[in-house]
Amino acid sequence: MSIDTGSAGVKRRDFLKVLGAAGAAGATIGCGTDDVGKLIPYLESPDNTVPGVSNYYATTCRECAAGCGVIAEVRDGRAIKLEGNPEHPLNRGALCSTGQAALQGLYNPDRYRGPMAREGGRLVPTTWEKALATLGQQLTGARGNAGATFINQSESGSFPVFLDQWLSAFGLPAHLSYDADLPASAVQAHREVYGVAWPTFDFTATRLVVSIGADFLDNWGASVPQQLSWGDARAKLADAPRLVYIGARRSLTGLNADEWIAARPGSELLVAQALFGEGDVAQAAQAAGVSAEQLQRLATELRGGTPSLALAGTSGPDATEVALAAARFNQARGAVGTSVKPAQPVLGFEGGASYADVRALVQRMNAGQVPVLMVRGANPAFTTPRSLGFADAMGKVPFKVSFSSFPDETSELCDLVLPDHHALETWGIAQPVPGTISLQQPTMTRPVFNTRPTGDVLMAVSKATAVGAGAYAAYADYAAWIRAQFPGGPSALAAALPTGIARGSVPARSAPASAAAPVAAPAAPARAEGELHLVVYPSPLLGTGSGGNKPWLQELADPVTKISWQSWVEIHPLTARRLAVVNGDHLTVQTATGSVTAPAYLYLGIQPDTVAIALGRGHTAYGRYAKGIGINPLDILAGGEDSRSGALSLVTTARVTKAAGHADLVTTEGSARQHGRNIAQAVAVSALAALQPAELQPGGRFGSSNATENAPYGGVVPGTEQGHGGGHDIPGLPSSKPLPGLRSPIAADAQGELADSSGKDLGMYDQEHWSGMAKRRWAMTVDLARCTGCSACVTACYAENNIPTVGAPWQGRATSPVTWDETPGANIVKGREMTWIRLERYFEGGEDGSADFETRFIPMLCQHCGNAPCEPVCPVYATYHSPDGLNVQVYNRCVGTRYCSNNCPYKVRYFNWFGFGEPNRRQYAFPEPLNWQLNPDVTVRGKGVMEKCTFCVQRIREAENRAKLEGRPLEGDEFTVACAQACPSRAITFGDAADASWSVAQLAVDRRAYHVFEELNTFTAVVYLKKVNHAAPSASPTA
Amino acid sequence: MTRGRKWAAIPGLALIAAVATVLSAYSGAQAGAPAQAATAAQPPVATPTDTAVLRQQRDTLAEPGPWAYSAASSDQGYAPEQPVNFPHPVHVQSLQMNCVYCHFAADKSPDPGMPAVGTCMGCHTVVAAGKPEIQKLAKYYNEKKPVPWVRIHKVPDYVHFPHMRHVDAGVTCQSCHGQVQNMPRVYQYSSLNMGWCVSCHVERKARYDCATCHY
Repeated sequence: MSIDTGSAGVKRRDFLKVLGAAGAAGATIGCGTDDVGKLIPYLESPDNTVPGVSNYYATTCRECAAGCGVIAEVRDGRAIKLEGNPEHPLNRGALCSTGQAALQGLYNPDRYRGPMAREGGRLVPTTWEKALATLGQQLTGARGNAGATFINQSESGSFPVFLDQWLSAFGLPAHLSYDADLPASAVQAHREVYGVAWPTFDFTATRLVVSIGADFLDNWGASVPQQLSWGDARAKLADAPRLVYIGARRSLTGLNADEWIAARPGSELLVAQALFGEGDVAQAAQAAGVSAEQLQRLATELRGGTPSLALAGTSGPDATEVALAAARFNQARGAVGTSVKPAQPVLGFEGGASYADVRALVQRMNAGQVPVLMVRGANPAFTTPRSLGFADAMGKVPFKVSFSSFPDETSELCDLVLPDHHALETWGIAQPVPGTISLQQPTMTRPVFNTRPTGDVLMAVSKATAVGAGAYAAYADYAAWIRAQFPGGPSALAAALPTGIARGSVPARSAPASAAAPVAAPAAPARAEGELHLVVYPSPLLGTGSGGNKPWLQELADPVTKISWQSWVEIHPLTARRLAVVNGDHLTVQTATGSVTAPAYLYLGIQPDTVAIALGRGHTAYGRYAKGIGINPLDILAGGEDSRSGALSLVTTARVTKAAGHADLVTTEGSARQHGRNIAQAVAVSALAALQPAELQPGGRFGSSNATENAPYGGVVPGTEQGHGGGHDIPGLPSSKPLPGLRSPIAADAQGELADSSGKDLGMYDQEHWSGMAKRRWAMTVDLARCTGCSACVTACYAENNIPTVGAPWQGRATSPVTWDETPGANIVKGREMTWIRLERYFEGGEDGSADFETRFIPMLCQHCGNAPCEPVCPVYATYHSPDGLNVQVYNRCVGTRYCSNNCPYKVRYFNWFGFGEPNRRQYAFPEPLNWQLNPDVTVRGKGVMEKCTFCVQRIREAENRAKLEGRPLEGDEFTVACAQACPSRAITFGDAADASWSVAQLAVDRRAYHVFEELNTFTAVVYLKKVNHAAPSASPTA
Repeated sequence: MTRGRKWAAIPGLALIAAVATVLSAYSGAQAGAPAQAATAAQPPVATPTDTAVLRQQRDTLAEPGPWAYSAASSDQGYAPEQPVNFPHPVHVQSLQMNCVYCHFAADKSPDPGMPAVGTCMGCHTVVAAGKPEIQKLAKYYNEKKPVPWVRIHKVPDYVHFPHMRHVDAGVTCQSCHGQVQNMPRVYQYSSLNMGWCVSCHVERKARYDCATCHY
């Protein structure tokens, strides 16, 4: 087609006109006013509900055994966000990723819609009446049969008591409380030495922590309270404890350690004896394959006067012995009562059954001694090794009932599925710590699906069969029973509901002693020639598999490897070189019981004779987000047990060979090295005292004695050279004044009339202001000394800001008109993930794999630069600087040129490639009812739009609106952003840096403060505080 | 289906281009007169009082004009039939009811609130219970169905309009919604276009940088 300017041809203008008309016609058909929609009022106005304003309900998280307090934000009857309850003694307002992702369990699109019964070999929907009648009939038949078994999840509080009471009425044995995530060996040792299953660990009272495989920052025990304590301890900077990690694999906790001793699997007991007892150091060092001097130095240090805390959480056949050695050391050194607090136990870990109990159950099932098997909240068909044959044994049980909400591996084998309410829909009482009751209440106006609380089901069966019905005569349902259990009765409960916690105790279940005698695995897995050790560990995000059906947790990069939507085999680079393996090459790991194949991840943090595989993936059921993603290493474990606790041994030996094929690692990481960019900075304790607090200097910048020494390019920061009039030399802006760190002279100019400091609300830059800076400057500090890299902030951001997950198999791109790239995580391989905040993890040193290395975590989000490189390149002004200091992205202006992303030095802008938020697209990220979780205060972005961190502008506006209506100014620390709210190590602080009443104003001028890429003159609003490294006493100071 | 649509787009665009070529060649042959004449049409007034006139103007105009900041690209004047013919004049003028009696959240929430059906029935169980419109209402209530009011005022999803801030600042309901108390059937009084929003924000010295409303 030719574009002719003459009158006879087609004019460009005419062409556009016709196109426009065609478009208008399409628009008229597609979005006429008929589509404006309906306004549906309430039938009756509910009390205490204002449309468009959130209500908050305090309840209890049941995602793990700990029982943290959560506050559910509820908008128009639907829970949309979970945050920690600040009043709760365990988590004090913080919440981990797993806890936050409970919402995606509640709204999981693959939940059972209602009761199911097996007919003709398939589970088909049935009615509650029929299902309850069947259950009643079967239970009547099994009455008094000691073989009938009920497996319940591990939880504290009233339900276990209720359950045992109900079981005993039917003459059935007490239930098995089985949680595959429970570190059973440590629990056993704690019981023997401290007398409780899980004491509170207080790291603030010690100066040296030695962890032998105890991943207290991952999910070893009550991770949120442990992280809180660890964060507080490390914030003591020079007086903080040093962490030494001993183990074959550096977990997240291991990466947070100041020193790593890469002991071979199986050598931990010798090492523990050498360190904590009278064992021979040389022998231990030889068995562990580590330097004897290093071990000797640590042993000497431990025997000295330093207040020390020893933790052990290994998973081999001698795990309890190792844990006992550590616990006895603490006892002998007087750490009990200061660093270890048995008087404040976490009660959720009491009464758990061990793997040996499940193994014994399987033996009974195979022998035909189990007439009825009931399972609630556990998935033993997936979380036990395939070699145990749990699934096969279920075939020998005549009647199996599942109370699972999800179509997991176990419930799919059952004859009857009676889906339980989600924990967020249920009444309950938890007892997280002695003397404090944590309440559980429904957060939803009505349940999402046709489910029923298991308590109600059991009570109904009891009443229908008249077995033990007398105990429930006074109660209409389980909720009524709960109200009666509460000390003080229903009225006291009503009074306690607003905070969700109350003083007092409820009767605890008397935990039956573990019945099954453990069968010990071979004492130390002997490694044959050509074999490597295989370490299997629970994923910090997915646990042993329960997190797999939540897309947030699948999408969230593993804190250690930065891999998502994929299983991987961790192998040391030197070993990989020997096998001629590079990142992503398939490795086959073969044991006596089977083999699995997964891509290799070359990891410096693993001992060279060892490979490691994470648990949690490889589901064969459990819904669309879990099924078929990755592999399950339990398929190749032989099922050995710890000889004292009966815990499953997760350590074995395996033959590792290179397999055909290669898979791109689904990683969100660009490089594991900083390449001299000084993104994540650290300071040695010894250098801490030399740091000067930042202060306004005539030079116009925070006096940063440390800034120049860290700045690359010869330490010259443009605009700070002496002799330039002592200020920023900004071309074209002769009037620019010397301005301190957060203030950008260029942005001040770009503000135009908005910079008018005499305006009412306007004017970021106020010459009269004490800071010389602003009336309001939203800013953030991230304390890298506190940050552990756990990534809870990332999940919080996904939840708050409607961020789509992009890695599910159906979300890939079209490879032809009829085919799609259905590799899980294909979008992430292409760099299309949408993590507005991401956790970067950098390794320092140890490049050749021979030496120890340091790890630095740094949350990276939009830096809200005062002088933002993204802003001037936008051709449509879709990104600009707001007068209160936000770098704003206006979605409706954005045309998707991606120039901004190209120009962003921090790579924090994310492009919406496929319309992940549009329901009619294949890549839609929120299939019904996952979309119920969407935050109505935040736009769900469409295709072709650039998006990024907004500093939770919706929260800023909400707080401003609230203050305005109450006729007052915003108060210091009145609100915070989602990532800061969730952070379990309290590393993130948000606020107004121009107002001294906000904590962030003080933290931003801390002596450790720095800006990432300060030399680019971006004047970022995110201020990082340097990590503090604790060198070993005799070692030469590093960093 | 999405896939089909996506790949159909290329031949579709080619088709449109072909049609455009033919049409333009045709109009070019007509001595080139109409294009200038069409753009000379008067743009509509920005603050209409008679929606029927406005609609007529909009429908009869031959070509898009410089309307970006005026009414015609919006649904201004939209006056759909409602499931129950609710007469605002009777309630507001005759009965002297305050707007926030029914729209109870307008001063405390971004969402003004629609009265629950139960609120209507609070009076109408007795008052005017025999009238046909009230019987329609009662039918909904007795069947426990909410009245599916047709939504008239709607800003796009990427715009946040907090009602309470405007009420708090003394902006009357009528400023945006028109003299609803005189409307036998409610219609969209204002354009709700961004230019319309911004002109008021400028006039009243309210913030008007993008992130005030867009986030």
